[in-house]
Amino acid sequence: MREAVATLRQELEGRGISRRDFVGFCSGVAALLGLPRSVSAQIAQALETKPKPVLVWLEFQDCAGNSESFLRASKPTAADIILDLLSVDYHETIMAAAGHQAEAALAGTIKANQGSYIVVVEGSIPTGAGGAYCTIGGKSALQIAREVCGGALAVISVGTCAAFGGLPAASPNPTGALGVGEAVPGIRTLINLPACPVNAENLTAVIAYFITFGKWPATDRLNRPLFAYGKTIHDACTRRAHFDAGQYVEQFGDAGHRVGYCLYKVGCKGPVTYQNCPNVQWNEGTNWPIGCGHPCIGCAEPYFWDRMTPFYAHLTGIPGFDAAADIDKIGLYATAAVAATFTAHGLVQLGRRTYDRRKQAGATAPPDPPSGPPAEPPDTTPAADAAQKGAAS
Amino acid sequence: MAAEAHGAHEGPLVPVYVWDLVVRLTHWAIVLSMLVLTVTGIDIARPFLHGASGTAGFITGYVRIVHFYAAMVFSLAVFARVVWMFLGPRRSGWRQFVPVTRRRQRDLIGTFLFYIMLRPAPPPAVGHNPLAGLTYVAVFGLYAVMILTGFALYSVSAYTSYMSMWQVLLPVFHGPQGARWLHHVVMWLLLGFGVHHFASALLTARVEKNGTFDSIFSGYKFLPRDRKPDDA
Ligand code: HEM
Ligand code: SF4
Repeated sequence: MREAVATLRQELEGRGISRRDFVGFCSGVAALLGLPRSVSAQIAQALETKPKPVLVWLEFQDCAGNSESFLRASKPTAADIILDLLSVDYHETIMAAAGHQAEAALAGTIKANQGSYIVVVEGSIPTGAGGAYCTIGGKSALQIAREVCGGALAVISVGTCAAFGGLPAASPNPTGALGVGEAVPGIRTLINLPACPVNAENLTAVIAYFITFGKWPATDRLNRPLFAYGKTIHDACTRRAHFDAGQYVEQFGDAGHRVGYCLYKVGCKGPVTYQNCPNVQWNEGTNWPIGCGHPCIGCAEPYFWDRMTPFYAHLTGIPGFDAAADIDKIGLYATAAVAATFTAHGLVQLGRRTYDRRKQAGATAPPDPPSGPPAEPPDTTPAADAAQKGAAS
Repeated sequence: MAAEAHGAHEGPLVPVYVWDLVVRLTHWAIVLSMLVLTVTGIDIARPFLHGASGTAGFITGYVRIVHFYAAMVFSLAVFARVVWMFLGPRRSGWRQFVPVTRRRQRDLIGTFLFYIMLRPAPPPAVGHNPLAGLTYVAVFGLYAVMILTGFALYSVSAYTSYMSMWQVLLPVFHGPQGARWLHHVVMWLLLGFGVHHFASALLTARVEKNGTFDSIFSGYKFLPRDRKPDDA
């Protein structure tokens, strides 16, 4: 590892980040992690004194949106600080080296830091056609991921593509794209930070947590850190009071939309999406989708492109029907059809009974026309049969 | 009482006690809770009970709470009924549902032929006829789907309560949105069944004249004196 100890302060100052900014950043991280304010001093101390972990950033089937989200932070806070916290030894988008040099840097880093470097993966890994859909320097993404992730201390999958396959894995998934966890089983520590793109603050917090405490934050069944994905958007939403009060946007641009009512009826997936958007927001807390009047599309959930669409409807359609078909209409018609069938069946049945009875009455004129279940030939004994006939008539 | 009313013009038909108290109580608990669950469920899916704009009501909030209480009644009633299939008297037992005997398997077809009017009379039955019994197996399966998807949906917001254990079900349903979809679609299947069930109960009562419709209130059906108890 590089000896970068104690120079962090100078580095930050060189970038115009004051001590005050830095402490503010640390308490922001503590708050995001749900830790008491007092911990921010511990975080600050750790960040200033502990050795920088070595980090390798891999990009596969992606749009570089996560890198963008991370690097284009409008204020020199999260990204700058985190870049100074880390020794980023390989990142195709931002590194100076290219071609063979870059490949050599990657190989060198892995070798020199076996078992102690951190990998951030952006983008999904195609497994179709022997991995031919995505190759870098003659190696498939799958090969690279196996080599690099295999010897890592931890792998952080940023964005829904790296975490769960994301857009490339959307039906019909032509490249056989998988998330990192699925494509490379047996990773020592896997942290998934889904969302489209990842929220840079969550990535920063995960790394700061690791540097401070020497371990990784607690995660759920899908390897998502609980501090960021422990609650649904709906359960922390600023519009939740409108949901409970039954005040909904019925149509974009209507009166309710203008005063900020709940977006449930225009397809909001906040109730089925785990992420801390309402608390952290985006672009240094400038705003977030629901805050500016757009329903949540559930971008942080696995397979959201298939499972959360249509984005502006409450539910997915029924297979075999038009994607926008209304389940409730289909259900209502089906229920009405059942009712109609039974009414018709009943009328026919009763009509036939009446007809039979009349005919029998005319033909043999017994004192009392049979009305109950008539003789039942095949499965009763003749005696019982006869008795039944008697009983019924 | 009811016996006289029917016996009067049916002559030798005799009342037979088929539905014990547990069967009738759970039946009606399921019907009533399902009605409440359906109305509140539709409002949860596409709210139509609106808060008057400008007032701070808690309408959807209350609707969800009513849904959850009705869900408790429903789940417990279904659970009790299933347990009763193994503990209760024979007419409530699971053999009424799953056609394990040769006889019931044969009557299954006979009943079907009767229903599609290819046979003049149904094979004799006392409790559920075999076809109805088999249908109820499917219906109980749908109940199970409703209960499991409902619990999974509930677990989404049950952060600290023991109900959060049902989160293990979420992946099975493709996440909460998948659970919601299934919960919604199966509601319509159950509504379709409900209409069918109500209509055929009326129809059977009219055509077979055996008091089937009233039996779920009183417990008695009116059957030919000789119909043996194992005409199950
Ligand atoms: C026959 C029984 C039931 C019917 C007809 C029914 C119907 C519905 C419907 C239509 C919805 C709305 C789904 C959507 O968002 O599109 C719903 C939501 C829900 N139901 Fe049920 N339900 C039943 C039983 C249950 C049970 C047993 C539970 C168990 C706890 C349950 C818990 C829930 C929950 C948690 C929600 C989501 C509420 C929300 O999103 O705020 N339901 N139900
Ligand atoms: S806007 Fe979406 S997340 Fe917010 S309360 Fe309404 S449904 Fe829930």
